[in-house]
Amino acid sequence: MNPFAKYGIEHLSPSQCNTFVASPAMYVMERCLKLRSNVGPAAHRGTAVEAGVVHALVNGASLEEAQALAKKEFQRLTALSADPRLDKESAAISDMVAQGLKELMPYGKPSSTQGAIKYHVEGLAVPLIGFYDMEWENHGVLTDLKTTHALPSKISTNHARQVALYCAARGDNLDARVTYVTPKKSATYRLENKREHVSALEKIALSIQRFLSISDDPHYLASIVVPDVDSFYFSDPIARQNAFSIWGL
Amino acid sequence: MALGINTQGSVGGEFLPIVKFDCRAGRMFRRDRENGENTDVDITKSFKAVMDLDNIEVGWIDFDTGGAPSFALGPIGQEPERPSEKHKKGVRFVVKLAKECGGDVREMASTAKAFLRGLDDLHDVFIAEQAKNTGKLPVVVLKDTVPVTTGEGARKSTNYSPVFEISSWVARPADIKAAPRNIEPAQVSVKTSAPSTGSTKVAPPVADDEDFG
Repeated sequence: MNPFAKYGIEHLSPSQCNTFVASPAMYVMERCLKLRSNVGPAAHRGTAVEAGVVHALVNGASLEEAQALAKKEFQRLTALSADPRLDKESAAISDMVAQGLKELMPYGKPSSTQGAIKYHVEGLAVPLIGFYDMEWENHGVLTDLKTTHALPSKISTNHARQVALYCAARGDNLDARVTYVTPKKSATYRLENKREHVSALEKIALSIQRFLSISDDPHYLASIVVPDVDSFYFSDPIARQNAFSIWGL
Repeated sequence: MALGINTQGSVGGEFLPIVKFDCRAGRMFRRDRENGENTDVDITKSFKAVMDLDNIEVGWIDFDTGGAPSFALGPIGQEPERPSEKHKKGVRFVVKLAKECGGDVREMASTAKAFLRGLDDLHDVFIAEQAKNTGKLPVVVLKDTVPVTTGEGARKSTNYSPVFEISSWVARPADIKAAPRNIEPAQVSVKTSAPSTGSTKVAPPVADDEDFG
């Protein structure tokens, strides 16, 4: 039997795989017990900045228009949030849009944005799916935009796996990149070892499948993992409360 | 077809900086490394180099090892056995860049068919003109790049083949050794460390209308 079906999981994504790797307890809480927590303002910041950057790249909007759209998107996504980090993230958006455009405007208009991909892994009962941020078919370049407050010196492993998957689905020939923007800096790095990172993602996905096949009872799965409640995965008050309810921790 | 490659490694412990031709973008890059950080410098328009085609190596290369590439190469006619399914047909040779694009001795290696096609054409000209230029090496410029489209539908992709031209012949520079490199034993890459993710900063691709107008 398909072990994903009993939990109503129709696909996996790089994000789900990363969650399982970092916090199996969060994966069980969200995907098996269906206790979803709020994404948090940092994730909404990323979505908003991307929307602004894409608006300028695709529609030719000015920097001011792109910044305004990003701010509006952030406000829409966080309208009901009382998260204390909202102000910090909101304040960073305009500068991040400016840095993103400084980095990506020279690439020209993307041939596609938010492109859906589906990738099948041998032996895995569900597909891996995802959405890449931007592709320039004429240049053979694909990049994912990541917002952060501190510019990394290299691509993170999670991001490498994510972008490698997009390339595996779109064609190995693509020049895969990850673009990081902070309020003050930006950098685009070329992804290396795509095949290895996709292979890692495949292994993780198969591990999730084996884990889910242990039991049809989500509470049993919860009983064999333990949450690290100090991790950012449980920083949301609702997630923290749910963890306490499930594990008593 | 002088290279014996269908166009459809370390140097005995010596590591040279590299020049690479990006077939997807049709650009030539010089990879500089400073303070542990790689930077690709676009030298497409200024590319000019003495190429040691006398000592070109052919054989098998696996760039996707998660670490240093795995080379199984030898002089033309002494190609080693293919070490693994992951190894692809490839070449490696040494170049000395002209001052305007770097001025130092570097290595070029590739398994990309689009690159090999252009290199093979250059090698044919090299062989034809070699007899008239005994003891010399060709000075090569990148004259143009030509698109080569393969696949269909979602898998359709366009690569660029380099069009090299020999602009002159010069005496072998003192810093390019005359002897061929050691033939290395064919080695199957064994993963001993986690794959790197990428720390090379890359510049935006140049717009099409700026390409060799």
